[in-house]
Amino acid sequence: MSYDLQWLLVRKWNSFIVDRVPEGPVFSKEPGNLRNLHSAKYSGIANGKIIDISDKNGQVVVRTRDAEAPIYANKKAEKTERIRNRSGGRRVAGVVSKKLSSGYRPDLREAALARSSALLAAQKPKKDVPPKELRGKKAKSFGLKA
Amino acid sequence: MASRPTVQVRGGEGSSSLPLPAVFTAPIRLDVVQQVHKSIAKNRRQAYSVNVKAGHQTSAESWGTGRAVARIPRVGGGGTHRSGQAAFGNMCRGGRMFAPTKTWRRWHIKVNQNQRRFAVVSALAASALPGLVLARGHRIEEIEEVPLVIPSTAEGFKKTKEAVELLKSLNAYTDVVKVSNSRKLRAGRGKMRNRRHRQRRGPLIVYNEDNGIVHAFRNLPGVEIANVRRLNLLQLAPGGHLGRFVIWTESAFALLDEVFGTTDKVSLHKKDYYLPTAKISNPDVTRLINSSEIQAVVRPAGEKTQRRPWTQRKNPLVNRAILYRLNPYAKVLRKEETARQNKEGHVHTQLPAKTHEAGEAFINTLFAP
Repeated sequence: MSYDLQWLLVRKWNSFIVDRVPEGPVFSKEPGNLRNLHSAKYSGIANGKIIDISDKNGQVVVRTRDAEAPIYANKKAEKTERIRNRSGGRRVAGVVSKKLSSGYRPDLREAALARSSALLAAQKPKKDVPPKELRGKKAKSFGLKA
Repeated sequence: MASRPTVQVRGGEGSSSLPLPAVFTAPIRLDVVQQVHKSIAKNRRQAYSVNVKAGHQTSAESWGTGRAVARIPRVGGGGTHRSGQAAFGNMCRGGRMFAPTKTWRRWHIKVNQNQRRFAVVSALAASALPGLVLARGHRIEEIEEVPLVIPSTAEGFKKTKEAVELLKSLNAYTDVVKVSNSRKLRAGRGKMRNRRHRQRRGPLIVYNEDNGIVHAFRNLPGVEIANVRRLNLLQLAPGGHLGRFVIWTESAFALLDEVFGTTDKVSLHKKDYYLPTAKISNPDVTRLINSSEIQAVVRPAGEKTQRRPWTQRKNPLVNRAILYRLNPYAKVLRKEETARQNKEGHVHTQLPAKTHEAGEAFINTLFAP
């Protein structure tokens, strides 16, 4: 059994596919899919080397699959690396990029960095939108501006 | 296969492991499974049809032409509203349906035995790949490996409580919870035909000997229990989708090589049955491409050329460089042409010089009073 064969088996139908827009992109919501796209390259179920980057209470968690593990291994083959809260973007990017460029799926480097930085960006507290300043006639009539 | 992988028995004290039975390396053919499932699923149907007489219990006859009504059969007689109404046709009120259903429809479909076995074996092989089990929707994220094998002592379980405890210790109970949460009221008439709810499928428990295991597990939502000698495609690949989450008892797992045989050892339970072999021994495309056999015969990769994604189109009739690229001989032609012209002493014929002012005589005639 190879992962190529597995991809052929899950390509047409699986429980993670999100195909909503006709003629639009087909998404996939399985963990380990960096771009959430339904494709052989990004698939988190039909690949031996998977990298899953997720957020867990502000912690960036990088989960990888041991490439040498037998195809039957599930949780056993997993390896998780947690990056402490508030370590900053440089550290997260470093951990992710180091893992990928050292022979473990260098093709996913860009996507992994994009995902990790998106996670970090989402962690930042939202700034309040400053109240809109009244301009022109309105401002004068309300007497806010001289 | 060089060394047979082993599978650990989980959820008991002490650790033992079993070699992976040969069924799990059988070829996985999605098309075979789907086709066989489609046919087998029809074998539980019961015949139904409308009454043969329905819509034909009048003595209606057509009035023929000349009465300014359609020539459909009409109910005869008088004294009731029914008389004169159209009858029989599928478009008529009180008429028979179009192509009335018959009880002798072909309800059951025969599938060749070898095909049925192939499908079962395929479905079993698929149940041993975590990716496919996940893709079917089973919650096996926390399970160490598939196939999941539990100790044979589970066959002696009498109480559901014990079963739940075991599943929880294996992290397999999430799949049961998933089923429990998925329970919905069925849409349509099925509600009043003993199919009130619909729900997902949970794990399939496969045992060797029933010492209470069936009773212990059967009340868990979505859990199905099967004997290893009587595995059924409808349970192994519900809906024709590969990758059912199967939990094996140790003795059932050990019996698999007997039940299905191997590629070179005949099955003890199925007459003259050997496991099918895959058409391709190595379906790993990357491995194939990178194999020394293939790399030895392919041409070495050329230099990478960066093509500009788009360029402005140039007209070769105007642009000389483009013309020479398309037709290198044009250069020679052009050279010859200039050489020929030089030899002939190409002379510019002089046009008569333009006179700019009109003559006095002309002006005078033009403006003559």
